[in-house]
Amino acid sequence: MKIMKKYKITLLLLTLTFLGCSDLEEQPVGVLAPESFFKTTADLQAVINGSFAGLSTESFWGRKLSLTLLLRGDMADIGDQGTSGRRREVNNFTMADDNGMVSAFWPQAYSIIGTANQAISNANLIDEEESKVNEVVAQAYFVRAFTYYHLVRLFGDIPYIDFAVADAADIATISKTPEDEVYANIISDLMFAKQWLPNIQPSSALPSKATAAAYLASVYLTTKEYQNAATEAQFVINKEDDFDLALESDFQDLFNSDKTAGLHEPLFSIDYVGQTRVGNYGQDYIAPVTGIRGDASYDYGEGWSVAVPSLKVYNTWDGRDYRRAVSLDTTATSKEGLVYPYTEFEDYSDLAVNRPHIAKYYRNAGLAGNNGRESSNNYIPMRYAEVLLIAAEALNEINGGAPEAVSYINRLRDRARMETMYPMDVPVGLSQEELRKVIIEERRLELAFEFKRWYDIKRLNIGVEAFGINGLEPQPNFDESRDYLLPLPGPELARNPNLLPNNTGY
Amino acid sequence: MTTNKHKKTQWLLLMFIMLMGTYVQAQERNLSGTVTSREDGMALPGVNVLLKGASVGAISDFDGNFTIRIPNNNAVLVVSYLGYETQEVTVGDKTSLKIALKVDQNELEEVVVIGYGTVKKSDVSGAVSSVKSAELTAYPTLNAEQALQGRAAGVAVQSNNGGEPGAPMKVRIRGGTSINASSDALIVVDGFVGASMPAPEDIASMEVLKDASATAIYGSRGSNGVIMVTTKKGVSGKPTLELNTSYSVQNVNHTINLLDANEFATYRNAYSSNYTQGSANTDWQDEIYRTGSISNTQLAFSGGSDTSKYYISGNYYTQDGVVINSNLERFTVLSNVDLDVSDRFRVGLNVFGARSNKDGVSTQAQTGGTGGGDVISSAYRFAPDLGIYNADGTYTINSLGDDIDNPYALATELIDERSVDTYRTNFYAAYDIIEGLEFKTTLGFSSINTQIGTFKPTTILAGSGVGGEASIENRRSTNVLSENYLTYKKALGNHNFTFLAGYSYQKNTNEGSVASARGFVTNEVFYRNLEGGAVTMQPSSFFNESELVSLFGRVNYEYNSKYILTFTARRDGSSNFSKNNKYAFFPSGAIAWNMGKENFLKDSNVINSWKWRASYGATGNPSISPYETLAKFSSVYAVIGDQQVNGVVLTDFANDNLKWETSKQLDLGVDVAFFNNRLDVAFDYYNIKTEDLLFPRPLPEYSGVSSQIQNIGALENKGFEFSINSRNIASEYFTWATAFNFSTNKNSMVKLPDGNDIFIDSAPGHFLQKQTQILREGEPVGSFYGYQYKGVYQGGTLPDGTATFSGDSDPGGELFADLNNDGEISTEDRQIIGDPTPDFILGFNNDFKYKNFDMNLFFQASVGGEILNYTLLELGSGAANATTAMNDAWSATNTDTNVPRPAVREKRITSRYVYDASYLRLKNLSFGYNLPTPFLDKTGIKNARVYVSGQNLLTFTDYPGADPEANYRNDNNERSNTNVGLDYGSYPNVKTFTLGLNLKF
Repeated sequence: MKIMKKYKITLLLLTLTFLGCSDLEEQPVGVLAPESFFKTTADLQAVINGSFAGLSTESFWGRKLSLTLLLRGDMADIGDQGTSGRRREVNNFTMADDNGMVSAFWPQAYSIIGTANQAISNANLIDEEESKVNEVVAQAYFVRAFTYYHLVRLFGDIPYIDFAVADAADIATISKTPEDEVYANIISDLMFAKQWLPNIQPSSALPSKATAAAYLASVYLTTKEYQNAATEAQFVINKEDDFDLALESDFQDLFNSDKTAGLHEPLFSIDYVGQTRVGNYGQDYIAPVTGIRGDASYDYGEGWSVAVPSLKVYNTWDGRDYRRAVSLDTTATSKEGLVYPYTEFEDYSDLAVNRPHIAKYYRNAGLAGNNGRESSNNYIPMRYAEVLLIAAEALNEINGGAPEAVSYINRLRDRARMETMYPMDVPVGLSQEELRKVIIEERRLELAFEFKRWYDIKRLNIGVEAFGINGLEPQPNFDESRDYLLPLPGPELARNPNLLPNNTGY
Repeated sequence: MTTNKHKKTQWLLLMFIMLMGTYVQAQERNLSGTVTSREDGMALPGVNVLLKGASVGAISDFDGNFTIRIPNNNAVLVVSYLGYETQEVTVGDKTSLKIALKVDQNELEEVVVIGYGTVKKSDVSGAVSSVKSAELTAYPTLNAEQALQGRAAGVAVQSNNGGEPGAPMKVRIRGGTSINASSDALIVVDGFVGASMPAPEDIASMEVLKDASATAIYGSRGSNGVIMVTTKKGVSGKPTLELNTSYSVQNVNHTINLLDANEFATYRNAYSSNYTQGSANTDWQDEIYRTGSISNTQLAFSGGSDTSKYYISGNYYTQDGVVINSNLERFTVLSNVDLDVSDRFRVGLNVFGARSNKDGVSTQAQTGGTGGGDVISSAYRFAPDLGIYNADGTYTINSLGDDIDNPYALATELIDERSVDTYRTNFYAAYDIIEGLEFKTTLGFSSINTQIGTFKPTTILAGSGVGGEASIENRRSTNVLSENYLTYKKALGNHNFTFLAGYSYQKNTNEGSVASARGFVTNEVFYRNLEGGAVTMQPSSFFNESELVSLFGRVNYEYNSKYILTFTARRDGSSNFSKNNKYAFFPSGAIAWNMGKENFLKDSNVINSWKWRASYGATGNPSISPYETLAKFSSVYAVIGDQQVNGVVLTDFANDNLKWETSKQLDLGVDVAFFNNRLDVAFDYYNIKTEDLLFPRPLPEYSGVSSQIQNIGALENKGFEFSINSRNIASEYFTWATAFNFSTNKNSMVKLPDGNDIFIDSAPGHFLQKQTQILREGEPVGSFYGYQYKGVYQGGTLPDGTATFSGDSDPGGELFADLNNDGEISTEDRQIIGDPTPDFILGFNNDFKYKNFDMNLFFQASVGGEILNYTLLELGSGAANATTAMNDAWSATNTDTNVPRPAVREKRITSRYVYDASYLRLKNLSFGYNLPTPFLDKTGIKNARVYVSGQNLLTFTDYPGADPEANYRNDNNERSNTNVGLDYGSYPNVKTFTLGLNLKF
C-alpha cells in the first residue's frame, strides 16, 4: 500500500518532469532565409527593391554620398563652420583615409551591390519564362552599374564583385580591379539592362530601356568614347516619344515634391515619402543641410546652412536666368514673419552665413519631418535635359560646332527663358572650343546642385581652375595629383592588404 | 501458593510505585516563562524548551510564552532557537522565567542559499555574500537592486538615471565580463531563473554568488554572477500582521551654477556680434525642479501551522519625482504558501504580481539637435534671458545653438507613459524517496507586459512640423521554466556527501509591435487615437523564441568539518547557439580547509574559525540572440514611385561556428573570525578571464555585409574584496556593530579582433562627434579618447609640444598636446584621456542601539573613476548657456585662466571635460525608536518602531558636474559595458528625508 502511494507520487512528479524536450532547432518567425527565398519574379523584384531602397538611405543618397558630391564641387562650400569635420575635410580637400563621409557611403554602396548580386546570381532559380525573368533582373544589372559607376569615378581602381557572396572569407584577399575593367563591366551591365528593360516603366524610380541608354551615354562621355556617347544619347532623343520623355515646361516643377512623381523628364529617380522612413532607409537630409539657419519660412523649420554656394556662384549667374531663381533662395523669413535678405541671414542665427542658399530641395520639400528631413522630395539622378547635354557635348567633340549640338542646348535655353528673353539661343557657327565652353557652362547651371558638378570637374580636369584664386570656390589645399580620387577607407585596406596601396597622396 | 504469594508481592510493588508516582507528582509543577531576544528584547516565537535529560518539551507561542511541567527545582531547561546560542537554565524555585537568548555570534552556522540548495555557512567553499532583510529595508529605495548598493563586496550598483522614479539600476558583480553581451547578474528568485526582483520589503535575504564554484551550476548564464533572492515565508504560529509605511520628501541634491541673464549677455556679447539681450531672467533649473515625495506602504500577513505556512504581502509605492511631471506608481503582491502534505511530501506555490505606471520626462537625450534635447540638458543649455512663453503664448525656443524647446515646455507637453505588468508563479513539489534522497520538481511561468505610449504635441518643435506625433508600443516577454532535481545526502562516519543532479528546460518568448501616426487635428487625444492621425507611420512587429535545455550536477564532500570539496557542472543546450555549437559545458571545482578546526587552533581564545578557500571554473554568457547565427534577408523600407513596396536586403551571412562567451575564474579566499566571533573578516582575490568574446568582426565591406559577430576577444577582470563585520560593543543596553566592505576591480582588454582598436561613439548626436571612447588591448574598457587639453593659448610662440586647431589660433584659444609635432591639431593628435573605472568602491555601515533607540549610519564611496562630462562640454561650446566658470574666461585683461576665450567651437572630445568622479556619500542616516513593550501591551501591537531618516545627506566630491553617480547612454548591452563614466542630461540625484513607522500585530 505504502509502496503504491510512493509509486503514485513519483509518477505524478514525473509527469511534470518531461514538460520540455527540444531538438534546439530554430524555427524563425518573421526572418527570411536566402537559400529558400527565390521562387517567383515577385521575390526577385523584392530583392531588387531592396537594392533601390539602399539608394535611399541616409548613408547614400539621403546625405552621405550626395552631400559629399555637393561639397566636393565648386558650386557649394561650407556655410556653418561649426559643422562636423568630416564635411569640412571633403570640401576643403583635407581628407584622410578615415573620413566619416566615405566610411558611411562605401559600405552602403557595397550593400546595394551585394543585394543586386543576390538577385543576379539567383535569378536562374526562378522557374518562369526567361524573358520575363530577364526583364526583372535587368533592373539589378542597372542598379549594380549605377552604383559601381559612382564608385569608379570617386575612387578609381576598386574591389569589384559580381556574384552573390555566401561567406566573406571567399573574397577576403581579392585585389582591386583596374578602373578601365570596372568601366567595361559597367558598360556590359548597362548593355544587358538596355537589352531587356521595357521602354516604359510605371515609375521613374524603376529604370527603363532609355535609362540604361542614358547611363551608357554618360559612361561613354566619361570614358571619352564620344561616338558611343552620342549614339546612346541620340538613341534616347530620337525615340523620346516612345519613351514618353519630354522637358518639363516649368523648370521649378522638377524641384517641387508635389509634382515630381508625374513628370516626363526624369529617367531615373530616387523617391522619398514625406515623414516616413525606417531607420536609415528612406531618410534624406538634403533639405536641412542646404536650407537656411534661422529661417522660419516652412512648417518643417530651419535648415542648417551646411552646404552653401559661394557668393560668386550667385553673383556670376545672370539674374535673368529663371533657373537661378529656382536654384537659389535669397531671402528667409523670421519667426515673426518678417522677410529678410541673405545679407542679414547671420543676424537671425549664429550658425548662418550671409549668402544665398540652395533652394532646389529645401523650398518645396512638401510633407517633411523637422528641418525638412524625411522630405517628400524625389531626387532625379538622370533627367532628359542631361541626355540632351550629353548628346550635345559628344557631338561637338566628334564634329566641332555641330548644329545638332547647338539645337539640343537651345531646347534647354528655351525652357529656361520662361517668358523673358534670357538666356538667348546659342548661335550656330561657334568653334569646337567655344561651343565646348558653352555646353560645360550650360551643364553647370542647368544641373546646378544636382550632384554632377564634381564629376564634371574631374572628367574635364578643370580642378585647378575651379578651385584656383579666380575660381568659384578658391580652395588652397586642392592638389590635382591627389584630389581627383578619394581615399579608400583605411580599415578596408588594413583588413585586406592586397588592396594596398591607397590612392596617391593618402 | 508460592505463585500467589509472588503475585501479591507484584501487586504491592505496583501499588507502591503508583503511590510513589503520586508522591513524585506532588513534587512536579508548571513553570511558565517568556523567551526574548537579548539584542532587541523582542519576543521569540517557536523556541524549543526542553527538559534536560527527559523528552518533555514545549515550544514558545507567538508572544514568546511557554509553559512546561518540571519535576523539581533541580530541573534544567535547554532553550534553543535557530540563529541563537543555546542556553541552559536551572529553574531553582522560580515560578516564572524570563529567558533572553543571545544571537548566535557564530554566524558560520547560518544557512546560505546557493543554486538548487542550501549549505551551512561553514561548509561554503565558494565566494558568496549574504545581505539580509534589515539591510535591504534600512531606507526607502526604488527597488531591491538599489538597496544592494554598498552592501556586499564586489557588487557595484548604480542608477542609470539619477533619482528618476523607476530608473533602472545597473548591477555589476566583479566588473563587466563582456563587451557586446549583457554583464547583468543573473537573478534567481525562489528558484525561478531570470526573474524580476520583488519589492525589498518582501525579501528575506539575498545571496550574491560570485566565484565560478558558486555560479557554474547556472552554466551559460553564470559568468556575470548570480543574485539568489529568497522571499519571506510564514512561520508556524498565530497570524502576524505587519504594517510598514514611510513617507519621504525629496529635493535635488545638486544643481549646476549657470550664468544669469546679465552674465549671459556679457558672455554672448564677447563673441556674437548681433546679440541683443532678452527681457527675462529665468533660472531654468528652478522652473523644472520641485520637491518630490515617496510614499511606500507594505502590509504583510503571515503565519502557519505545523504543516502549512503562508506569507501574503501587498506593497504600494508612489513617487512624485523632483522634476515636474515625472511620477511612478507601483503595486506589488507576493504570496508564498508551503504545505507539508505528508512527512515526506511537500508542495508550495509562489505568486508574484506587479503593476507599475511611470509617467516620464525626457532625459539623457541621444541627440539634442533641432527639435531634440531633453528636459534636463535643455535646462542647462537654454538662454536665461528668455522666459517660458513668447508674447503670443507659444513656448520659447532657444536663441543660440540648435533650435530646441525650453525645458518647461518639454517637461509639461511631451507625454511618455510606460506601464509594466509583471506576473510570475512558481509551483514546487518535493518528495523524500528514501532517507536523505529528495526529489524536487518546479514548474514556473512568468510574463512581463509592457506598454509604452508617447505623444509629441504641436506645441513643441518635435511635433510642430508634423502635426503632432503619437506612438504606442506593446511588448510581451514570457518565460516557462521546468526543473527537476534529486538531492542525496549521506554520511559515512566523518565523511559527508551531498549529491545533486537535475534537468532543466526553459523557454523564452519575446514579441512586440509599434504603431505610430502624425498629423493630428488636436493635441487632446494623446496616443489613444492613432487613427486620428492623417499620416500613418510604418508599423513594425517582431517575435523571437529561444529554448534552453540543461543538465546540471554537484558533489559536495566534507570530511570531519575540516576539508570540503565541491564539484559543479552544467551542460546547456541552447537554440540560439550556432549549428555547430549547440551544447556548452561548464565545470568548476572548489576546495576549502577549515583550519580553525585543526588541533593547533581549536582551543585558541582569539581565533574562532579560519577557513581557506580556492576555486576555479568556467561559466558562460549566452550572449547570442535568437536567429543571430542564421543567414538573413531583412525586410527594409522601400519606395518605388512614391509607393511603399516589398524590399529585402542581405544583412547577414550564416554563422555556423559562433559560440557563447566563457569566463574562467580563479578565486582565492579566506574567512576568519576572532574574539568570540565578534569580528569576522573575509578576503578574496579573483581573476576572471573572459574568452571568446563576441565582437562584430568587421568584414571586408565590399562583401556587402559590414560585419559579422565572431568569438574574437578576451577581457580580464581582477581584484580584491575585503569585508569586515564587527560587533564593537555588545553590552546589554548598548550595541554597536560595523560592517565594512571594500573592493577593487581592474579590467583590461586582453585581445581585440586582429589587435585593432575599436572606437565607440557615445556623444549626443548633435555634437557631431564620433570616436569618443576606445577599446585598446591592455587598456580599460571604455577609456575616453580625444585631445589632451593644455590650457589657454596666450599668443606668440606655441608652448613646446602644443598647438591649436586652425580655426582657433588667436590668443585665448584652446591649446592641445600636439602628438605628431606638426604644429597643428588634427585627428592624429588624439589619445586616451581618461579611465572611467574606479580604483575601489566601499560601503561602511554602522548600527547603534541603546535601549529602545537605534541609529544607522551608512556611507558608500567610489574612488578613482573618471567622468567625461558632455553637459559641461556643451556648456563651454558657445552654442549654449555656460556655467559661472565662464565669468573667468580668457580676455586680453584676464589671461591667467584655464578657460579659453568665449567662442563657438566644435564640440570636440577633450580632456578639459574629463573629471575625477571620486565621492564619499552618506547614503543613509536614520534614528529609530521602539515603543516600549508595557505601553504596547495594552494595544495588541507586538512591536512598533518609528524612525526618521535621511538619504544622500552629505557628499564629498570634487566633481564639478551635477552628480558623480552619473550615467549616460547605458541602455543596452553594448553600451552598458562600454559607456561608463559619461554624464549628459541625467535626472538629478536626490536628497531624501523619510518618516517611517513599522508595526507588528
